[in-house]
Amino acid sequence: MSDSDNGLKQVIDLLKQPVSLDSSFDEKVMEQVESVPPPRAWARSLWTAANWMRRGRTLTVSPLQGLALAAGVVAALFVGRMWVKPDSAVSPGPTAAVAEAALVHFVIVAPGAGSVSLVGDFNDWAALETPMHRVEGNGVWSVSIPLTTGRYRYAFLVDGTTWLSDPSAPPALDDEFGRPGSVLTVGEL
Amino acid sequence: MMARMRSALALLGLATALNVTLAPSGSAQEPRLESRVPEPTRSEINAILDSAGAAGLPTEPLVDRALEGVAKGADPDRILAAVRRLSGELRLAYDALGPRSSAAEIISGASAIRAGARSEDLAYLRELRADQPLTVAAATLADLVAVGVPADTAIAAVIALAEEADDAHYVAFRRNVERDIALGASPVAALGVRLEATAADVFRSAGQSPDSRPRPRKP
Repeated sequence: MSDSDNGLKQVIDLLKQPVSLDSSFDEKVMEQVESVPPPRAWARSLWTAANWMRRGRTLTVSPLQGLALAAGVVAALFVGRMWVKPDSAVSPGPTAAVAEAALVHFVIVAPGAGSVSLVGDFNDWAALETPMHRVEGNGVWSVSIPLTTGRYRYAFLVDGTTWLSDPSAPPALDDEFGRPGSVLTVGEL
Repeated sequence: MMARMRSALALLGLATALNVTLAPSGSAQEPRLESRVPEPTRSEINAILDSAGAAGLPTEPLVDRALEGVAKGADPDRILAAVRRLSGELRLAYDALGPRSSAAEIISGASAIRAGARSEDLAYLRELRADQPLTVAAATLADLVAVGVPADTAIAAVIALAEEADDAHYVAFRRNVERDIALGASPVAALGVRLEATAADVFRSAGQSPDSRPRPRKP
């Protein structure tokens, strides 16, 4: 028997000897086990549901139930079609706008105004949607709104009756409704 | 049991087919128009929206234009005419810029069409800026015309900058022309001076020789 064989035999003999554990070993193990929180109720339910779903089932469907199922699917399809926005037909393309918004600051001087609103494509031309705030003492009104990439037509509505264009922006070309307006282009952000 | 399943599937197929066949062929209703645009104008606008959506055009600017008309107290016929006209401009822009263009690009392109650009101009602009967005370039064209620059001159200037200028260059160019006009310069003179300056800036940024600056050109 070579030296290496003798060494191996000694190791095997050593491993065959029973391991003697500290008398408190069991207690320490139980402490560790008890320190782990029990699974929550929802986790148990999820586990049960997952097991249930994995198991095969045999379904029995009567013609009447089948008809009800078909009606449900048809209704879901119909409702889904109603929710599709027409704009989704436009391909975003390689130059699509980033879905971030730039904060755009609008300012108008209207010294005698009691109220001024910003009205435009970005708020469905709703007169009360975006009221402007008076800057104390100098007849200046301002508001800031976030806008994504695009071209917007807008105007200022003074006291709910008088339309003003923005003197600091290009005018809307060929105003078709007989009131002044301006345009703003927000580039790729 | 299999026979029952087959019956159910057959009924499902039949019901789906009926849904396809009997689906209403009328226009979808744009909810924002319901309380603000009277009939029959509303139905006509909804039909335009349907047609535009089916053609791949952005419909939001059409709704916006109708709502603008309502807010400004225009009569229904005028609103309808404005929506119809814009729809035509969007279609021209879409055809010129291609289906991969973004909605913002098509809308800006429609503004350029209204300003006097031809479809060929937009197509050429797209070709020159194949890898860059067109929204601001096309809008600059429209904005220059709006402040008094003749359409042909504005088109030539925007195209001259198209290959190298970025959006910031276009915005600065347009603002400077507007400022010069407000200070009393003629629109053509202001555009000429500012085009030279912008081109020099663009080519300086691109690290090219000033001799290779663009000159106004026609497509």
